Amino acid sequence: MMEATWQTLATWFGPTWPAVWVLLKIIALLIPLMLAVAYLTFAERKVIGYMQVRIGPNRVGPKGWLQPIADALKLLFKEVIFPTQANKGLYVIGPIMALTPALLAWVAIPFGENTWIANLNAGVLFVLAVTSLEVYGVIIAGWASNSKYPFLGAMRASAQMVSYEVAMGFGLISVLLVAGSLNFIDIVHSQAQGRFAEMGLGFLSWNWLPLLPLAVVYFISGVAETNRAPFDVVEGESEIVAGHMVEYSGMAFALFFLAEYANMILVSFLTSIFFFGGWLSPVGFLPDGLHWLLIKAAVFLFLFLWFRATFPRFRYDHIMRLGWKVFVPITLIWLFVVTVWLLSPLSIWR
Amino acid sequence: MVENYFPVFVFLVVALLFSMAPLLLGRLLGPSRPDPEKLSPYECGFEPFEDARIRFDVRYYLIAILFILFDLEIAFLFPWAVVFKDMIAEGAHAFYVFGTVMVFLAVLVIGYIVEWKNGALDWE
Amino acid sequence: MEFQTVVFYLFGAIAVAAALGVILVRNPVHAALCLVLVFFSSAAIWLLLEAEFLAITLVLVYVGAVMVLFLFVVMMLDINVDRLREGFWSNLPLGLLVAAVLVVEMLLVLTGDVFRQASSPPALPTDASNTESIGRVLYTLYSYPFELAAMILLVAMVAAVSLTLRKRKDVRYLDPAEQVKVKAADRLRVISMPAEKE
Repeated sequence: MMEATWQTLATWFGPTWPAVWVLLKIIALLIPLMLAVAYLTFAERKVIGYMQVRIGPNRVGPKGWLQPIADALKLLFKEVIFPTQANKGLYVIGPIMALTPALLAWVAIPFGENTWIANLNAGVLFVLAVTSLEVYGVIIAGWASNSKYPFLGAMRASAQMVSYEVAMGFGLISVLLVAGSLNFIDIVHSQAQGRFAEMGLGFLSWNWLPLLPLAVVYFISGVAETNRAPFDVVEGESEIVAGHMVEYSGMAFALFFLAEYANMILVSFLTSIFFFGGWLSPVGFLPDGLHWLLIKAAVFLFLFLWFRATFPRFRYDHIMRLGWKVFVPITLIWLFVVTVWLLSPLSIWR
Repeated sequence: MVENYFPVFVFLVVALLFSMAPLLLGRLLGPSRPDPEKLSPYECGFEPFEDARIRFDVRYYLIAILFILFDLEIAFLFPWAVVFKDMIAEGAHAFYVFGTVMVFLAVLVIGYIVEWKNGALDWE
Repeated sequence: MEFQTVVFYLFGAIAVAAALGVILVRNPVHAALCLVLVFFSSAAIWLLLEAEFLAITLVLVYVGAVMVLFLFVVMMLDINVDRLREGFWSNLPLGLLVAAVLVVEMLLVLTGDVFRQASSPPALPTDASNTESIGRVLYTLYSYPFELAAMILLVAMVAAVSLTLRKRKDVRYLDPAEQVKVKAADRLRVISMPAEKE
């Protein structure tokens, strides 16, 4: 039935069918992603609300469930301010440069054995490269605003983002070593093998166990990369108001917000894929599937919110120390351990 | 192999349009009532008293330079990470490659120690 | 492969236009951003030439790292454009000389044998990984240049530290490592005292 429908559609569109098919897949990704972003903001307010013994938003719609829609509409009808001293062209490009890479990285993420938009052989490298472009949104916005707080925020943010990218990169090298591939699907496959997986205890074969320090470093670096609490000195409201976003209003501001939340979801997905087996089922008697990936990502997203409700903001010199003096040595030492482990007869990754 | 990147190209175009559309919509749907006070740079209610684009501590440049160097190292190690497991399985050159990469890393760890000892990684 | 040709001309045009922008726009920040665009479109063209690893590394290293430093420098050094223009005529001869050398070099490369081959390399199969092909030779056949790269990076690191690092005297520095190590017992002493009667 489905096959027949696709066949008819393919004949209708003729030679443009591949493009149309890709477009359909992209839409099938973007709509849930945007909904996820919208409801993540809602979840954030609710979760933090309950953690602080409040009930969070509950006025718009049943139990507050229409709150994100109301927020989006409100932002849409707000004035987009162009400050007089701003550099107009770059001021507009700033939010675009923030959101585009945040979305583009999703093209390489697989959601299942055969569910992907682009199955790239160098997928990990691609995602790393695209996420390294995110710093441009921040720098451009901060500089184009031509105002003090945005400028300070942009400087802090970019130095912080590049610092944690180093730790992330070194951490990933070990993951690639044990998987022997840059392809996301191969990385997930490599976690389906091992003594425990054969015993039906798949979750003990995932990378998190042998690469535990790296999993921790990777996720924390991810939090720092996305400038989320407790690493949110960028927009520390008590110091520099909202960092690079101070001068932005309406939809221009909303774009930064979308980018930030899309990145949070991306980091959660990547952590699940690299260290927690992606769509693999934790135990042998349950089937693998997309729902596992979503559950794992949801757990990490919850961690993001939990961190925000729990930890006080880090001081900037502490942030830089953690990135350069704690995480980089940990990843280097573990890289050495993994290399020797692979060479030794005790290797578990044959 | 290039055909794998066709969806990436389409996605790039879609992502760009998707990022521009809200800005346009916001401009069309939102009001536009400029006002000199509203359009002046935000400085907690004060009049901005100097240009925002000030000189910065040299440390920011140092961090950026160190980042380039470490990023290059990571780029150099990626191909190794991909083939090393296969090389061990094949048995050919595995220890030679191990030695090569360890020398590479050792040289860079020396650099890292130099930075640490000189206080280049401290943030004052 | 009609579509690939279209994509090639698209990115080629962007690269050329952006490269012109680098030298023609007045604002140094705009010029740096044009350079970002040049790198990005060159990466796309490399990709069309089946050089997957190199193309993505170009984005990762040049766009993601080197240009960030460039932007830091041009944004923060508050370059005074008028002052820069003063030296224009005195530096012109040197500039022309460098430009002439570059043009000659480019002509030598372009008229050499390398670029007389077929227009594009043969298409690789879908699952070919040129990261793997690079990995197979880089650490064995080319291990010597590979170690030289490590040495160059080391020199760059030491040079960067010794050139830019200045100890500032006007700041009160607290060592975060020491602060993290502090225990409650170091700061607070709980003593038991007999209750006093009035």
